[in-house]
Amino acid sequence: MVDLEKLKSIAKETVSRDDVKYLIGWRQGTYGFRVSPHFVEKPEEAEELIFSPLCTNNLASYLVLPEKLPLPRGVEPDSRKVALMVKGCDSRAVVQQIVEQGIKRDEIIVIGCPCEGVIDLEKVEERFPNQLESVTAQWSNGKIIFHLPEGNEEIPKEEVLATKCLTCRYPNPVLSDLMLGDEVETWGDEKYEDVKELEAKDPQERWSFWEEAFSSCVRCYSCRNVCPMCYCEDCILDRLNPTWINRSNNASENTAFHLARAFHLAGRCIECGECERVCPAGIPLTKLNRKLSKVVQENYEYIPGIDPESKPFQSSYRPEDQEDFIL
Amino acid sequence: MKEQFEPNVVAFLCNWCSYAGADLAGTSRVQYQPNVNIIRVMCSGRVNPLFVINALQQGADGVLISGCHPGDCHYIEGNFYARRRFGLMKELLDYVGVDPRRFNMSWVSASEGNKWKDVVEEVVEKAKEAGPFEQFRRNKINW
Repeated sequence: MVDLEKLKSIAKETVSRDDVKYLIGWRQGTYGFRVSPHFVEKPEEAEELIFSPLCTNNLASYLVLPEKLPLPRGVEPDSRKVALMVKGCDSRAVVQQIVEQGIKRDEIIVIGCPCEGVIDLEKVEERFPNQLESVTAQWSNGKIIFHLPEGNEEIPKEEVLATKCLTCRYPNPVLSDLMLGDEVETWGDEKYEDVKELEAKDPQERWSFWEEAFSSCVRCYSCRNVCPMCYCEDCILDRLNPTWINRSNNASENTAFHLARAFHLAGRCIECGECERVCPAGIPLTKLNRKLSKVVQENYEYIPGIDPESKPFQSSYRPEDQEDFIL
Repeated sequence: MKEQFEPNVVAFLCNWCSYAGADLAGTSRVQYQPNVNIIRVMCSGRVNPLFVINALQQGADGVLISGCHPGDCHYIEGNFYARRRFGLMKELLDYVGVDPRRFNMSWVSASEGNKWKDVVEEVVEKAKEAGPFEQFRRNKINW
């Protein structure tokens, strides 16, 4: 449980430091169960910060988003730090970004928030539809209390938690400079049940499942844009020469896009589930990513986003890697 | 008479071992099927996994990637990286329902002309069994 007063005082203290550019956190959104990212630049803005079961966004994406333009001669680069509030899964994204040298460890201040699981907005909105007033929520002994306008509602957290949170292995930040509150107990274990279920089907069924999923893709690239690990300055999807994936929206190009996207995250995906959350077509993207996570973990004994000192998966090797598939 | 299906196999061969191995098979007049289209690359580690997807999109029925044996890479460790990548790629293609017989990888050294023949025979045989690839092939626009 994170103490909000402590969070605000730490945030104020951090933002008033000379070497801190801004702090990225969450604040209440404008309606319903929405929460929006909050960039705190002045100490008084820290009053709006919250941390609750509604804070689903992975803020680690904002670390790598700012464009680094070439500076005019004589201008010093802004070397101030960025402070960031992270949940357990977000902290893995930060670790993986450090491993890939997307950001440097001394450029950031990580404020760890032990997390007891965040909500799935769809599940909650199904229970409490048409909420126009802003609603707050909090954790309490395995339950989530929603402060609705008509009164408080207590719901066991298993019923409204996001799917990724039900099998969460890392509720506590794996990397943090400051911790808000005590560590929480791990409740889930990753067994990749949904992946195994799909693997058990025969290839034809699997293909029809994916064909249907991919054919509903509208190629908005939200999954790429929200992903904390997709931060190449020159993405293959934007590149025209060579054109890896044509822009036409059809079964062939959509499949190629999704395979390429999943493959580029192989051994890097930290399973925060943001891609699936933002997908307007409801494509089960985490099923694709988690398959590769499962292979990487089972066949290569590698879990991304745990150790900042480790090497990136696809640019390292072990001489004893499996090769039973090679003729 | 029903015409037999002749698969179109795209093979990415590393310049230093497999391409030389295929060359040796040619100079020693080893007979093998003409279904493979060989593309020479400098190292198996140079083969982008998207090449495989792209080949399948553009009409390949099978893909073969061939490089030096582990430890023999001209660039010391290129084939180790390739092994890791394509181990994942194989699992991914299998998971979305692409016939696993379409994706093959082999180690063929410069002196293994006969092994190259065996590999090609096996790969073409597997592609034949799998049949024409139509799952996510790019459709030609029929005006």
